[in-house]
Amino acid sequence: MSTKKTSQKTPIIGLTVALFFVMAGVFCFSYALETLDVKAEELGASEQPIYEPPFPDYSIVGFENELGALVIGGASTLLLFGAGLAVAKVLNKKKGK
Amino acid sequence: MPDGFLTLTIAIPAFIVTVLFWAIALKKIKLTEQQVPMMGLLTALFFAAMFMNFPLVGPTTAHLLGGAAIGLILGPFAGLISISIILVLQALLFGDGGLIVLGANVLNIGVIGVFVPCLVFLALYKLAKPKANRGLFAIIFVSAFAGDVLAAISAGAQVGLSSLSPWFGLNVAVPVMALNHSIIGVAEGFVTIVLIATLLKLRPDVLEKSPILGRLSMFKNKSEVEV
Repeated sequence: MSTKKTSQKTPIIGLTVALFFVMAGVFCFSYALETLDVKAEELGASEQPIYEPPFPDYSIVGFENELGALVIGGASTLLLFGAGLAVAKVLNKKKGK
Repeated sequence: MPDGFLTLTIAIPAFIVTVLFWAIALKKIKLTEQQVPMMGLLTALFFAAMFMNFPLVGPTTAHLLGGAAIGLILGPFAGLISISIILVLQALLFGDGGLIVLGANVLNIGVIGVFVPCLVFLALYKLAKPKANRGLFAIIFVSAFAGDVLAAISAGAQVGLSSLSPWFGLNVAVPVMALNHSIIGVAEGFVTIVLIATLLKLRPDVLEKSPILGRLSMFKNKSEVEV
């Protein structure tokens, strides 16, 4: 496979894999109970949030179901791609000067 | 980790160390044209990978960190920035990770989780000088595993030192994090190998310019390591 063709396809392949991860996360591996949280809470610590996020726990308020999580997951994956790309472009441009 | 798990005496120094690493990273970062889209892609990929929570010992779960793969592919400075983007947006948009402890979370996942694999990789590669892919992949596996376990130990130590309760000190937090996260470390090792092996086949141009994997002898002398 030529590198030029592959380089054009890489973002599409990568984002497809990322969206597959989101689907797997929503439908198969959504049960989240992190070790540190469990142990800390068992022993008396508790979460003390100082800020109310717009999409708490990856859900849209009023649509706290798998479809909502899928939409949020897909959209935020694309957002992260854009954010990572934008930061990389800015850093690359800055270094090029 | 969420706000409330660390005292300010731990969270503030962790934030200061993280800010220092950010400053160094922004000064030292070097990206090629090929690495620019790859940084966006890896940021999105490991954000998505964090959606998957794998069961561990007992009722608990853990997710991949991605620091090893991003660090080895793009270099530690770009890796730190990439992981930071993920953690900042997770905290701001979803409340996944606190804001007061953001510095500690970036220190664990973005600094330790990225720089440790890169340093372990460079040391082992220099020591072993693998001639075939099997040796190279073994080194990648150990590097990724070490990054995950040390990041977890660091998080456990921060909570333990915060002395949230007399029963939750270093002697509890550190071993439980090390044990549980050594399981996800194995998964991290395999995922990192698969990703790098795929790029070696399909996009060697990205790895060739990497500050870490670009040092592989295959990029200096293609006959030394078979791809």
